[in-house]
Amino acid sequence: MLPPLRHPLTIFCGKGGVGKTTLAVAHALGYARQGKRALVVTSHPLPELAVSLSLAGLKEKAPQAAASLFVIHIDPRELLQRAVRQHIPSQALAGAVVSSRIYQSLIEVAPGLKEIVFLERLREFAVRQAAPEDAGGYDLVVWDAPATGHFLQTLNVSRHFKLYLSGPFAALGRNVARFFSDPANLALFPVTTLEEMAVEETAELVHKLAELEMRPRAVVCNMTSPALAGTATKGIAAEGILLPAGADDPGLRFILDRLVVERALFERLRSEISVSATAVERRHRAGTDLDLLLELSERMGEMLES
Amino acid sequence: MRIRVFVGTGGVGKTSVAAASALRGALAGERALVLTIDPARRLRTALGIESEGFQQQLSLDAFGGGRMPGELWAAQLDVAASLNRAVRQTSTPKQAEAVLAHPIYHVLLESLAGMQELMAVERMDQAIDDGFEALYVDTAPSRHALEFVDKPETFSHLISFPMVRLVGATYHWWERSGLASLGRKSLELYTRVEEMLGATLTRQILDFFSIFRGIAEDYAVRARRTVALLRDPQVTTFTVVTTPFKARRDGDFFCDELGRRQFPVGAMVVNRVWPVLPTSGAALSPQMQQVAGWYQDTSEAHRRAGDQVRGAFAERIPTLVEIPELPADVDGLAALHRLAAHL
Repeated sequence: MLPPLRHPLTIFCGKGGVGKTTLAVAHALGYARQGKRALVVTSHPLPELAVSLSLAGLKEKAPQAAASLFVIHIDPRELLQRAVRQHIPSQALAGAVVSSRIYQSLIEVAPGLKEIVFLERLREFAVRQAAPEDAGGYDLVVWDAPATGHFLQTLNVSRHFKLYLSGPFAALGRNVARFFSDPANLALFPVTTLEEMAVEETAELVHKLAELEMRPRAVVCNMTSPALAGTATKGIAAEGILLPAGADDPGLRFILDRLVVERALFERLRSEISVSATAVERRHRAGTDLDLLLELSERMGEMLES
Repeated sequence: MRIRVFVGTGGVGKTSVAAASALRGALAGERALVLTIDPARRLRTALGIESEGFQQQLSLDAFGGGRMPGELWAAQLDVAASLNRAVRQTSTPKQAEAVLAHPIYHVLLESLAGMQELMAVERMDQAIDDGFEALYVDTAPSRHALEFVDKPETFSHLISFPMVRLVGATYHWWERSGLASLGRKSLELYTRVEEMLGATLTRQILDFFSIFRGIAEDYAVRARRTVALLRDPQVTTFTVVTTPFKARRDGDFFCDELGRRQFPVGAMVVNRVWPVLPTSGAALSPQMQQVAGWYQDTSEAHRRAGDQVRGAFAERIPTLVEIPELPADVDGLAALHRLAAHL
């Protein structure tokens, strides 16, 4: 038996466009600022680009964090290629295999193959925690997961690896299934915005995770107004705010409409899931993307630890 | 024939915009079909899709106003149903039975992410056969939205393998006689691939595609035809749907991706733009003032984003449209009609 992980694999999942990547990077940045080695693994190449843009200038502003924060994108096709090259001693033959059309098309259609390889790499990162004797390990590994459908499919694959009855990848499947079935190894944070479709999908996601016996630590409602998240405004309930008598104020009318919608969706989410929900306010005034990210990393530290 | 394809990342209101455009087209006299992929329950209600039916016509009575409207139909992409139907229609009963019972078929069906993209093109082809004049296609909400055209191409490559053809001919493809007719080089290569991926899996996949081949070839022919229509600027326009803060990134991304595949980008819709409205100095508590300030900041930021987007894409995208945030979620045809007024 392996000892339990000091820091479980932290996963930000949820619908596309709700801010998973930003939250994942901010969370890791919080650790990196304390000098802990933090790794963000993203499944999609595009956010990585956006991330590197918003991290521009980190080295000047927070050198220690810059030295401890790592953001990488894993392409399962490359991992598969590496496996083939390791398995076949003749490099010429290995090259012919990976560039052959039959290999390329088979790995595209082979159900779950890419997912297994990806999850195995993630597992390796997570179990190889920072230790004095291992300079390459990480204190924290964060997975910026793909959008809900693909994320659930990926988890399902980890449970059904037995489809791979033979071949070198079957062994990977066993490792992956064991690791991802143990709740102690994972800290799950579904992310949502307070919009109708996102809330609906998040409630479904939490139920489907329950079927896989996975329980999120908390659902994070991202980009809310200060009326929901802000400490200064605690206790403002939309229904408690009234338009001053006789005022015909389109600006205030719009605000109140939005507040009612936001509050109603938050309550609906809370009533549909048996997991705590926490709100992260959208901030505007800070200067650059990096400032926002640094500021967010402070807020998240307190929020997710509690 | 007119096709409008709506692409965009999740949560931008793509389905609503597609449906509103279809409603507008229908009111202008088109026989229009809006094809959505797994819409949220609420929108399904909005469109009046109650049953799991193939497609259904929505009443335009509320908007007639004396003019002669066209027709509005809605269909939902049901992968399992479409694929089962395609299998039954294009093969002998015995073949169909073999395909439907094959383990790989079920795995494929379960990995809906892969099949949805394949079936979107198939479903568009059926709609063209059904005589619709205008198709409004809502794509899967992901950055890989264009897989619905890429996947069919991979798929048609796969079924054209010599290996798969051979298997189809002998049925018991692993028999020596079959493999012997392969060149030595291909055989060696194949053996290695099998070693890597596992013999059971590889054989199951090849076996499946061999049975599935007839169906798949038929599919590939139709898919190529549909993809060619998608490349024809006389027929198709792609519309990028986005929201103010995502507009810059989404616009760049989809212009590149669509351009690379030679698809015409016709429009960008920036949805959910918060209006910049005057707020009087009505006596507000300090807390409420803070909240009101936050809303005004957000509205201002939306407006700045809008200005940037107009500057950045004026040259590349012919039509740029902004839709204001509606007071409530889009629910019902009436709300779609309000949305359509902005298009």
